[in-house]
Amino acid sequence: MSSQRPSYRNVFLTFARNSLVRDMMFRGNFLIEAISAPCWTLMNQMFYSLIFFYTPSIGAGTGWMKYEFFIFFATTILVNSLVQAFFMRNFEEFSELIRTGNLDFALLKPIDTQFLISLHRITWSSFANTIFGLGLLGYSIWQLSATNSEWAVSLGGVLLYVAYVLFGVGILYSLMLTLSSTSIWLGRNQTLYNFWFYITNFSRYPMEIYGGSAAGSALRFVFSFGIPILLAVNVPARLMAQPLKEDNWMYALVALAATVMSLLASRWVFKKALLSYRSASS
Amino acid sequence: MGTTMSIIELSNLTKTYRIYQKKEGLLASVRGLFSREYREVKAVQGIDLKVDEGEFVAFLGPNGAGKTTTLKLLSGVINPTSGSATVMGHVPWRRENEYRRKFALVMGQKNQLWWDLPAQESFRLHQQIYRIDEKEFDRTHDELIDLLKVKHLLGQPVRELSLGERMKMELIAALLHSPQVLFLDEPTIGLDVIAQHNVQEFLKHYQELRKITILLTSHYMKDVAALCQRIVIIAQGQIMYDGSLSGIVDRFSSHKIVSLLFSGDRLPDDLDRHGEVIEREAPRAKIRIPRREVAEVMARILQKHTIEDVTIEDLPLEEVIAEMFSLVQSENGSPVETAAAETT
Amino acid sequence: MMAKVQTWWFILKICFSERLVYRGDFALGTLMRFLPIVTQIFLWGAIFATLSEATGTDTIRNFTYHDMIAYYLFVFLGRAFSSMPGLASGIAREIREGTIKKFLIQPIDMLGFLLLNRLAHKLVYYGVAALPFAFMFWLCRDYFPPVPEITTILAFVASLIMSFLLGFFLEAALGMVGFWFLEVSSLFFVYMLFNFFCSGHMFPLDFLPSPWVEIVRAMPLQFLAYYPAAIWLGKVQGAELVQGLLVQLAWVLFFIMLCRVMWSRGVKRYSGFGG
Repeated sequence: MSSQRPSYRNVFLTFARNSLVRDMMFRGNFLIEAISAPCWTLMNQMFYSLIFFYTPSIGAGTGWMKYEFFIFFATTILVNSLVQAFFMRNFEEFSELIRTGNLDFALLKPIDTQFLISLHRITWSSFANTIFGLGLLGYSIWQLSATNSEWAVSLGGVLLYVAYVLFGVGILYSLMLTLSSTSIWLGRNQTLYNFWFYITNFSRYPMEIYGGSAAGSALRFVFSFGIPILLAVNVPARLMAQPLKEDNWMYALVALAATVMSLLASRWVFKKALLSYRSASS
Repeated sequence: MGTTMSIIELSNLTKTYRIYQKKEGLLASVRGLFSREYREVKAVQGIDLKVDEGEFVAFLGPNGAGKTTTLKLLSGVINPTSGSATVMGHVPWRRENEYRRKFALVMGQKNQLWWDLPAQESFRLHQQIYRIDEKEFDRTHDELIDLLKVKHLLGQPVRELSLGERMKMELIAALLHSPQVLFLDEPTIGLDVIAQHNVQEFLKHYQELRKITILLTSHYMKDVAALCQRIVIIAQGQIMYDGSLSGIVDRFSSHKIVSLLFSGDRLPDDLDRHGEVIEREAPRAKIRIPRREVAEVMARILQKHTIEDVTIEDLPLEEVIAEMFSLVQSENGSPVETAAAETT
Repeated sequence: MMAKVQTWWFILKICFSERLVYRGDFALGTLMRFLPIVTQIFLWGAIFATLSEATGTDTIRNFTYHDMIAYYLFVFLGRAFSSMPGLASGIAREIREGTIKKFLIQPIDMLGFLLLNRLAHKLVYYGVAALPFAFMFWLCRDYFPPVPEITTILAFVASLIMSFLLGFFLEAALGMVGFWFLEVSSLFFVYMLFNFFCSGHMFPLDFLPSPWVEIVRAMPLQFLAYYPAAIWLGKVQGAELVQGLLVQLAWVLFFIMLCRVMWSRGVKRYSGFGG
């Protein structure tokens, strides 16, 4: 008789393996996805290079010069590609399932339901972008240490960076979980992906660009402390590219708190959504 | 024998749905958060039931009767509006992992296996999720594969299997963790006759072997007749009958079928006087007569004509049940689909 | 002829009523599409903030900050005219699945039908979206240069109309590649990439350094988004403007002819398969 809780690690590994087997069955699709994502990223990269052709930094006194900004962009790629790889597809499916009442099978399994619906599919092709991001990160670090004598990267810095990238993923994950859970009440909102794109669009640039005007400051405040998506990329990017910035420690603490609270809040919303769940009639 | 505690107990279990007028579009939905029109549907109305360990019970009833809803309540998939239920001592809708490890639900025509992968991969995932010991898994796995004769299909993607083969895989997946209670919702729906037979045989055999408790809902009389001694008829969210198969006829059959063999070559012209003639092929005729009139009608016929042979039979079970549903309908006034169309 | 007009009107009405059901949803969705522009406004604001200090000028290739914002809004408008979502893939799919046969059997010209379909859809769509659009433009009115002369405005409108036609026939031609090759999704993907980069969608094409800018200007893609915006903002004028419009017209005619040829050749090839 089976009477122990499942090994979440083993279950996750099985998910990963099954997803890989499945993706390999559709090799054509996999290749197209694995190539197209980095291509888009490359295009954006060229756009940013073009900008720096004309100006040495983005924003006055913000410290986002060329390679610092490239580190920022690399961080965006890393956070987003990880979210894409692990969660995007799962939540698109989940928001449909919970809305149409086809979640029954997930509710029958003796395993935490949130874990199950968040991780059962992994989109391996998205890791292509992760590789691109790592490459860009490495290149930028190399260039930055060559050109800027004041800047250096340490092991502690790298560990901190990795941790905050993961926190950033956690924040975006919570947002995604909340959005897809609400589809049970709000019905068919515009496909999750569109909504997601519009909201996270704000997180793709350094928060300093929102300074200067009342509207900008309001935006910056809302997206730092309300829906803290700005913290997802900005904090790790700063820690790596501008480690000596004064208020880094404050943002680091806030980001940590934001991650924890987001995860708790989103789990709460998720459980609420399950309570309203209605199974579809056969 | 032993304790009188039933393994499944339902007490006044009720589930009422509010059907909201759903409007499409984001703004309409947001507006809908504040004020909505709705109507109430009483899917399950105060059901009381006790099932002992090792029983094989069938739920019979028309669409919308509440059979599937009851199963879903017992699986913890949905919460009741009121009332209580325990299965193996657990309250199902608490969705405790400990409970979920001990039962299984199989829904006909609904697939929980990974669509693009061979069934074998889904089985392995099951093993991980249910934390089934390696040796035990192998043993159970092989046993089920043998019983259902699907060894040659294990490597094929599930989407390539026929409906019957897929159902077999679903059953295996459900039984891999050796549940003590099995819920089956229309397991043979959509299957061809042979596949239906296979599934029935398997269930019968497995139940006798393992002595697990099974609750099965079905439209098909053959499922029910082949497998269960105890039938629970549910209509409009309430239990209409709970007992044996033969008891149904005794209780609900309103008519009898009288088969007559007339002497001579011709049938009398006024046969319709006695009842509804359902078959006439001289010199035989079959007449459907209300139960209480049988004696009187028989006396009349025997008086007027020479009869060489008489047989008095009950209505077929399907018709009895169909009639019973219509009875429910006329009593309650609101439409309930009769089971006549579904029972085959 | 009358029957045709009636059919067209009928289709238009159906599309319209279908759209209206979703109008609240729709207005919200349209406004949301402007959100990325908000980010762009802030981004370029930050870029231009340091510009004069660092480089001594406050323009990039004659674009001021306000020009940039106005540019993005006009590009948005241009894309509203020229983007044809699903056109190429739809045609390719119909070829692949055989449903294109209905155009061969019935006396309906596929290209004409699709063109009309798109026209109807866009009229309806932007008819309803006109309000949010106008609202956005009004919000950003400070960023716009003074309203240009009537001739410029006419040139702008002409360019927009041509960008619609160009976008349509270009993507239709792409879709019809499906007559010869089964797997065209990679082709579409490459086209989308180029479109995004070279149509002026991301940034004014003036920003590109040589030799890139010459290469991009040789392509028709600039007319899908960049050119109308450039006209209104006065980046092309006089003889150059006329020349540009003629080039745009030439591209439109070229793709119309290409489509005709591809259609007749493709249909011949297709029927040869006895499908």
